[in-house]
Amino acid sequence: MSAMRKNRMMEGMGATYIRALGANVMATPISSIRFWIITMMLVLFGLSTLKLR
Amino acid sequence: MLLDLAQWLSQDYRAFSVFNYITLRAVLACLTALAISLLTGPLVIRQLTAYKIGQSVRDDGPKSHLTKAGTPTMGGALVLISMLIATLLWSDLGNRFVWAVLVVTFGFGAIGWVDDYRKVVHRNPKGLSARSKFFWQSLIGLAAAVYLAFAVPAPSNAKLIELFMQWVQSGLQMDLPNKADLIVPFFKNIAYPLGVFGFITLSFFVIVGTSNAVNLTDGLDGLAIMPTVMVGSALGIFAYVVGNSLYAKYLLFPYIPGAGELTVFCAALAGAGLGFLWFNAYPAEVFMGDVGALSIGAALGTVAIITRQEIVLFIMGGVFVAETLSVMLQVMYFKATGGKRIFRMAPLHHHYELGGWKESQVVIRFWIITMMLVLFGLSTLKLR
Repeated sequence: MSAMRKNRMMEGMGATYIRALGANVMATPISSIRFWIITMMLVLFGLSTLKLR
Repeated sequence: MLLDLAQWLSQDYRAFSVFNYITLRAVLACLTALAISLLTGPLVIRQLTAYKIGQSVRDDGPKSHLTKAGTPTMGGALVLISMLIATLLWSDLGNRFVWAVLVVTFGFGAIGWVDDYRKVVHRNPKGLSARSKFFWQSLIGLAAAVYLAFAVPAPSNAKLIELFMQWVQSGLQMDLPNKADLIVPFFKNIAYPLGVFGFITLSFFVIVGTSNAVNLTDGLDGLAIMPTVMVGSALGIFAYVVGNSLYAKYLLFPYIPGAGELTVFCAALAGAGLGFLWFNAYPAEVFMGDVGALSIGAALGTVAIITRQEIVLFIMGGVFVAETLSVMLQVMYFKATGGKRIFRMAPLHHHYELGGWKESQVVIRFWIITMMLVLFGLSTLKLR
């Protein structure tokens, strides 16, 4: 199976992290850690609703 | 800066009063610093690569690290710039503690910058000599310690000068007010009076020690920055508590007017650190270098002194402490036994790497330990 076809199949699998890994853009730790950072920011944004009302 | 603007606008539009809240400004400072570091990160990395500012790797270190040679370093400048802009935008610029912490942070950053620059640009492997590095660290650390000895117990700079003059007139005998005592965690009635010289000595070691401890920890991708973010955020909570008369009284802490504004600084540090981690996570696109490690370590130490949480910093920064102790023990044992080692390699993270842990396993496990230590440190807010 060609690498391009394999990548297309992985993209078809849906989850964003699989797409990041499948396209060989990121290695596993960096993609996990970037998703954690995004989550932390969303949590912070959620917590700000305690005050911003 | 924006606080002044918001206060001016709030005269006509009441909605702008919301910016008076430290908590909101802290969240905004965090997001601002994160956005700046994420947006400017690729540009900074490209520039560092173009100038060939690449890290040299120790040849006696783990073999897996040899592939890291040439990765751009001095990325700590990204943390410093993002943090500075966010702090200047969102904090009260009339606050003396914010300026004190910024001066110490950038003073140590300048030392790290010169060291890194000589190493990677001038290709001088020794960089700044250990003696001159320690001299400049001591000079800034001592100046900060003397200032804080009188600034922490005094509610304003005018009172600071008054307190200093009283101390001089007493023939250097007068004790500091009990706000400057060393707080012992978990004991509500125990606070150790340090006196002026005790305060200065302790503060000096906390600032210089933390700075060097973070620098020693900065040996694996993401290992130093994430614990810094966690410890910095926790110190921000302490700053908020001691800077708020109601919470300080309720939780039995000394009330230190103005310390609350450091929450904004700590939040900016956390945001800038997370933005840097985006590029520093394994496999790193950029390293922090001494410019980042020395400065953020000094920043943590200075905030801990102002909030009177030196012992809690020691607990929460347990990973930094363990890394430093591993180097000290290794060197002492090596010299005493004529060549034997306690650890496979020092600092401690290399010991685990050579024991078979992967780099990312060491890093994330050290993060988990720091999370637990930070929670334990935060529990001292209430458990007294």
